[in-house]
Amino acid sequence: MSELLPIDLADLKEIPQEIITSVRESVEVTFESISGSRPEFHENGDENAPMNGIIGHITVFNSYHTLTLMVAIPRETALSISEVFCGMEIPFESDDMGDLVGELSNILAGEVAASVEQVGFTGQSSLPTVTRGSDLKLFMPNKPPTARLRFEGSGGGFWVNLALYESVSRK
Amino acid sequence: MSKIKALVVDDSKIMRSAVKRTLNQLMLADFEYVEAIDGEDALEKFSEDIQIVFLDWNMPRMTGVEFSKAVRKKGNTEHIPIIMITAEKSMGKVDTALNEGGANAYVTKPFTADQVSQVLSRYIDKNGNFLTENGDQGEKKSFFKDMLNFNKQ
Repeated sequence: MSELLPIDLADLKEIPQEIITSVRESVEVTFESISGSRPEFHENGDENAPMNGIIGHITVFNSYHTLTLMVAIPRETALSISEVFCGMEIPFESDDMGDLVGELSNILAGEVAASVEQVGFTGQSSLPTVTRGSDLKLFMPNKPPTARLRFEGSGGGFWVNLALYESVSRK
Repeated sequence: MSKIKALVVDDSKIMRSAVKRTLNQLMLADFEYVEAIDGEDALEKFSEDIQIVFLDWNMPRMTGVEFSKAVRKKGNTEHIPIIMITAEKSMGKVDTALNEGGANAYVTKPFTADQVSQVLSRYIDKNGNFLTENGDQGEKKSFFKDMLNFNKQ
């Protein structure tokens, strides 16, 4: 259970800043350790234009709450990351690209889980899933508290979208 | 120098390749690889001639820690080092893997060649020979203590 959040999230309008800051720092640490340079965080990351790229989905959850992370990476950034991570560019349409973004999401979720634990959210990470396509646009049908963080790394820009839900097991 | 038979377990092909590439680049020993895509696959491929295991945690069907427990339960496997290579970073997870799961060492992703080299130096000598008597409980506890201290800094 989380010490940071009420069990019932019905009245929670925003993700607590402590969680957002933990995720932001986790993204910076993770991408820095992979690419050697720290991505720059951009405050105005709320634009939500359709994207041609790939999205890694993963959650950090406990029996009460689920923090969903969606790592949205445009095609050119994904190609650049693949070159750094694998030592060569991976074709965007290949299974290996999905594998790479899934693993990247997994590494990020591990960092996030350890980081949010420090601010009172204890959870474990799920397995990742990956979506690839064009004109991709994220939206949250149940209107949970969300946050959209934009980063600019050495290989290009990317976004990390957060959503906070009550876990299904509690219902 | 004989080949060291290593079982590399990860549901990500990219990560299995990264582990093998790192081990080859380090040139600490000559490795022969057996690959598995999850704990269940690893259990099927596990044989008495496996000398070292590189093991992810979060995998479908059977996790790395479940695999590690199952291998230790077989008996006569205490001499086989199990190196966790995982994205799980919380100290509770490290504790579970080393003290309940029977793993000998813990490396977090994304790992560096130096980190892998440091761990392997406990099991492989300068001539690339495998030190079969390594990885005892005392050493594991000491490593765990070091890691706890490192994380507290």
